[in-house]
Amino acid sequence: MDLSLTETQQLLKSGVEDFIARDSPREAIIDIVETEAGYSRDAWKTAAEIGWLGMAIPEQYGGSGSSVTDIAVVYEALGYGPVPGPFFSSGVFSAYTLLALGDEPQRSRYLPLIASGEAVFAMAITEPDWAWGVGGIHMSVERHGNSYGLNGTKLFVYDAITADYLIVAVRTGEHATDIGFLIVDTKDPGVSIRRIEGFLTTECEVTFDNVEVPGDALLGGAAQAMAGFATVLRHATPVLCAYKVGGAQAVYDMSVEYSRERVQFGQPVGRFQHVQNHIVQLVNHLDSARWTTYEALWKIDARKPDVDISVHLAKAVTSEGFIEATNYAHEVHAGVGVMREYGLSLYTRLSRSLYHALGDPKYHRRLLADLIVDFDPSLATESSNGTGNHVGHTHS
Amino acid sequence: MDFEPAYTPEQEAFRTEVRSWLAEHVPVVEGNPDSDENYPKYRDFGKKLGERGWLRPTAPIEYGGGGLSVDDAIVIGEEIDVYDLGIPPYYDTGGTLGGASILVWGTEEQKLRILPPIFKGEVVTWQLLTGPEAGSDLAGTQTEAVQDGDDYVINGQKIYVGGTHGADYLWTITRTDPEGKRHENLSWFLVPADSPGITITPMELMGDGGEGVGRGHKNTIFFDDVRVPASNLVGGVNNGWKVATTHLELEHGSGGRIGRNRWFDRARQRAMGLTASGEPLLANADARDRLADVFVRTEIARLFDMRNFWMNRSHMEMTYEGPQASYFRKMANLATAQSIMELVGPYALTSDPRWDTSERQLDAFMKSSIVDLHPGATADIQKVIMARRIGIGRQVREKAGKTAE
Repeated sequence: MDLSLTETQQLLKSGVEDFIARDSPREAIIDIVETEAGYSRDAWKTAAEIGWLGMAIPEQYGGSGSSVTDIAVVYEALGYGPVPGPFFSSGVFSAYTLLALGDEPQRSRYLPLIASGEAVFAMAITEPDWAWGVGGIHMSVERHGNSYGLNGTKLFVYDAITADYLIVAVRTGEHATDIGFLIVDTKDPGVSIRRIEGFLTTECEVTFDNVEVPGDALLGGAAQAMAGFATVLRHATPVLCAYKVGGAQAVYDMSVEYSRERVQFGQPVGRFQHVQNHIVQLVNHLDSARWTTYEALWKIDARKPDVDISVHLAKAVTSEGFIEATNYAHEVHAGVGVMREYGLSLYTRLSRSLYHALGDPKYHRRLLADLIVDFDPSLATESSNGTGNHVGHTHS
Repeated sequence: MDFEPAYTPEQEAFRTEVRSWLAEHVPVVEGNPDSDENYPKYRDFGKKLGERGWLRPTAPIEYGGGGLSVDDAIVIGEEIDVYDLGIPPYYDTGGTLGGASILVWGTEEQKLRILPPIFKGEVVTWQLLTGPEAGSDLAGTQTEAVQDGDDYVINGQKIYVGGTHGADYLWTITRTDPEGKRHENLSWFLVPADSPGITITPMELMGDGGEGVGRGHKNTIFFDDVRVPASNLVGGVNNGWKVATTHLELEHGSGGRIGRNRWFDRARQRAMGLTASGEPLLANADARDRLADVFVRTEIARLFDMRNFWMNRSHMEMTYEGPQASYFRKMANLATAQSIMELVGPYALTSDPRWDTSERQLDAFMKSSIVDLHPGATADIQKVIMARRIGIGRQVREKAGKTAE
């Protein structure tokens, strides 16, 4: 048993911390997120050169084929920033999807572009009939000889506005699991993307108006891709959780610091037990998120058979925990916390925006219940024989 | 990161030895394992474990321990856990926490004299901390020890002590300098329980019945001119608060543990046997949500304990983690009891042998989850300690108490 980061992971972490200090300090992020793109292209290029966009991608496609825990260490540190940009959408979620569902030509064509940062990918899954999971995917495709015709709207699509390609979930048949994924070039005629306003980050509305995509755009040529996509979600979800853990850690550090500096009634506000309680609750949410996420990551890399229980647990706990962490931080900071230039509200906004990403807590609790009602605890201590836990050739 | 202990071939061989020994010696009991009838069997089993050095596996052999590595101790813990037994399998806070404190603060003579009977399980030792006047304010105790020749004479009262089946030694904190500065006026004593002047009276509390916290009855202990040899003062005259930091650090959860998630198992087991409106209870979405609530909370508590176990055994510097685990478990248990009530309805509340299938576990938990908010420092005190250790509102962070392991 050793719950510490490896030396390599420590280096990855400090690498991101240096990057944030040098290329993406919080003062700069506050302004950058309000630009049209929402992130810095210079910082993106630097990140790509360091190799953070290729961590989920095997070496043969220009990446480093890192373990999911290594990837999460980087994303936790990015979340501390919180460094904005389509890092997760492109470098993790889309990369894992291409790797798990794509055929060889698709992988060789697109994965190197993701790893080098030359192209940005984003995942277009949810629709106006909002629900995470197959039940929310209604958009269908029409077969036109050697191409597909695409009509409809995808909603709350993260990072679409800056994406060169979208991976679009479509319904391919009547059966619940008849779901395929199409690669769509965002410059294609008929594709229109609009960033939507609100207490959101990069969520977009994407409309497809008689868009024609070539037949070879269907990932793996598969009309039933859900089984492979489950593997993608198993890997991508705890990485997103790690990003939120990083964000929760940042608001915790800000709150402890503020409790020492801010003086009212002649003493630091942290001397008041109500304020102490806010930070105690905050750190409990932070640590709950951290350790459920870490255990899920370890179970993926160690190929444990009950990994999905831990992934659902981590996502439910982390989504709730990030929101709670920011709420308590606001109670500690009072008025200062809602001032734009202070930076706390960056995390607050993120905690809301990412609450539903990859499924909200209710969704994950339901799936968790399905697994634990019938789960045999004796399985938890046995190693699996590699029951398809791994994405493609990422780490065999 | 690795969330599992790594086992060497030697450890696996040791596991086989432990497993077959346990299979031979763990008592076979009927009904509630915590019942008065079953207690002597477990008490006897504890002594047998002690003879082998497996009751305190990591304590040095010369003090009655097993002299084993932490890894071997994990193996013993895991194998005993299979039987759903605590270590030791009887109520002995003064042995678990007091023993560790004596190991840190006792003189060599005291360790050689006092520890072997404790670590071998020959004696039961209760901790006596709370007094009527000193609850959360433990340092304000008014139980007094006055030196008289080679003895100290103790007068005062301690409450919420021990369990149903008596003790051989009492491990207690007293005031030895009424004029002294706070935290510099206290001393610890190990007092033979049969000393003249000691009166032990049962208390009537919610959650009585059976053995252990929340199940056994607690006691009031009166000291009337009780003479204790000065050689039983542990940790130095007026140095008792330092000893207390060790004792309390462990009591507040810094030792951690690796264990299964029992309350989830029990809740699920009970729910599985029930129907509601003619349907299996667990086919109901609301019921499944409640079971998920139980799982989520108890898994976090398990992970906090595991993190603390790892930090403690790796000799890492701990700060707020002990009281955090303690605070979280207290609040999680209270909420979990409520979730179980919502899950299985009034079946959660009954210990009626005809209608309860949990061997009185659920009914006891409904009460113990409330009772347990207080022992080992209240939930509020745990938060106060966390705040000091985190350094909320203060530049200097308070350090954790020194522990043996």
